[in-house]
Parts: sequence; structure tokens; C-alpha cells
Amino acid sequence: MRFLRAAVAEVVGLFVGDWAQTAVSVGILGIGWFVLSRVHVEGIAFLIAIALASQLIYAATIEARQRARPS
Amino acid sequence: MYSQVLTFGAAFLGSAVESVEALTIVLAVGLTRGWRSPLYGTLVALVALAVLVLLFGQLIVTRVPELTLKLIIGTLIVLFGLRWLHKAILRSAGVIAMHDENKSYQETVKELYGSPLRQDWVAFVIALKGVFLEGMEVVFIVVAVGGTSGGLHIAVAGGLLAMIVVAIIGVVVRKPLAQVPENTLKYAVGVILASIGTFWAAEGMGATWPLDLVSILGIAAIYFGASRVAVMMIRMRKPVMA
Repeated sequence: MRFLRAAVAEVVGLFVGDWAQTAVSVGILGIGWFVLSRVHVEGIAFLIAIALASQLIYAATIEARQRARPS
Repeated sequence: MYSQVLTFGAAFLGSAVESVEALTIVLAVGLTRGWRSPLYGTLVALVALAVLVLLFGQLIVTRVPELTLKLIIGTLIVLFGLRWLHKAILRSAGVIAMHDENKSYQETVKELYGSPLRQDWVAFVIALKGVFLEGMEVVFIVVAVGGTSGGLHIAVAGGLLAMIVVAIIGVVVRKPLAQVPENTLKYAVGVILASIGTFWAAEGMGATWPLDLVSILGIAAIYFGASRVAVMMIRMRKPVMA
């Protein structure tokens, strides 16, 4: 049972480190889907990569700040 | 050709990193308790992982429409790659410790000494658990990258080759492969997977990319650039935070 629980946790952990960050990433992809289905301009999808990269910078710096804060 | 190299490379690198971690666990158990039980545990784990690859690989290749596959698997690869990249940024900036195979080895050995009864059973379970859990990431990379690109056999070959290379080196040196630049490899795999995932997810949404697959290089440049900016920003804040 413990092994199964560890396996499930491992599977979820593959994609989710922080639920808020995952929600933001999925939100960006959702907005991207909405925009891409209406605006048909080649290369506009690079905006999705830029948005995801920006949230990566934000999430990493926030986590670094939180870890540095004395508990 | 470009797609095949990308598929093979992602599967090979991802599998190599996880195989090094699994090898450390098997070595720790084998050198401490003898080889029979950990090798059985490893074998059972590898068979279970192979079944997962065959099952999910066939399922997504034969049952899921191409665009849906790209959208769903692409999204999962993005999340997976960003997670690896996030950790790599924190490691590069010195916020969290670098993965240390020697430390992992010592921890596994300590775990074994703490359970003196039914030694063979404990050795079997620790090896099985270690190889299976580390291998699940390899299964995901192989199935996702191989299934979406239509080159499942190439991804399987990349994953298997990495495992075999790491196993041979492990048998020869008989100690944890602490010299392998695991964190750099994870950083690279994170960038590659996040880029491939973004490319496929957007294609699944109906987007077209200029120069097709070559766009992945541009996406990779965006993610790599962002990760370096993040590392720089964290390092710059560090003296103030301390």
C-alpha cells in the first residue's frame, strides 16, 4: 500500500511541484489555446513560450526568496 | 531526421540521468547485502516499466487522434520540463543542494542497516522501489516524446541505450557515478522537454510554426535565456537576503 501511495505521489510529482505554479502554466496554455483558435498568425505561438518562460522566472525567484526567509 | 534526433536525444538524456540515480540505489543495496535480491528487484521493476511503455505507448499511438495527442501530451511535457527547469534554476543559483550520488548512496546504505530482519526481502524491495520510481520518469519521457513524434521505437532505443551504457559503467566502476554532471544534464533535458512540449501543445491548438521543427531551437533559446535571467536575479538578491 505504501508502495502504491509512493507511486501515485511520484506520478503527480512528475508534473506538479507547486500547485499554484502549475495552475498558472495551465492557465497560460488555456489562454494561448483561446487566442490561437481566433488569431491565425504564424509564429504567434512564441508568445506562449515567452509567457511560460516569464512565469518560470517569477516562480523560481519567489521560491528562492521564500527559502531564504528565516522560519 | 531532425525530429528523430530530437526524440532520441531527449529519451537518451532523460533516461541517462534517471538511470544514474537508480544505479546508485542498486549499487548501495548490492554492495551492502549481496547481489541476488537487488538484481531480482531491478529485473521485476524493469519488466513492470517495459509493460507500462508498451501499454501506454500502443494506447496513445493507436487510439488518440494526432492533434488531441499533441495538445494533451504536449501540455504534460511542458509541465514536466518546466518542473525540471525550475529545480535546475534553484540548484544553479545555490538555493537548493546539487544532487549528490555519494550522499544518496550513503542514505540507502543507512536505510539498509536500519532493517536487519528479512534482509533479502528488504534488499529486493528497496531495489525494486528505487528502479521503478526513477524509471517512471523515463517511461513518461519515452512514451510522451516517442508517441507524439511518431517515433516510439526511436525513443525506446534512446532510453534503452542510456540504461545499458549506465549499467555497463556501473558494473565496471562499482561505485556511484558521482562524476556524471547530473544537474547539467537535468538542466538540458528540462530546456529540451519544455521546448518540445510547447511546440506540440501549440500545434495541438492549431498553431503553425515558422520553419516547422526548427522553431524548437527558438523556443529553447527563450527558455534557456529565461532560466539564466532567473539564476542571475536570485544570485543578485542573495547578499541582501542573507
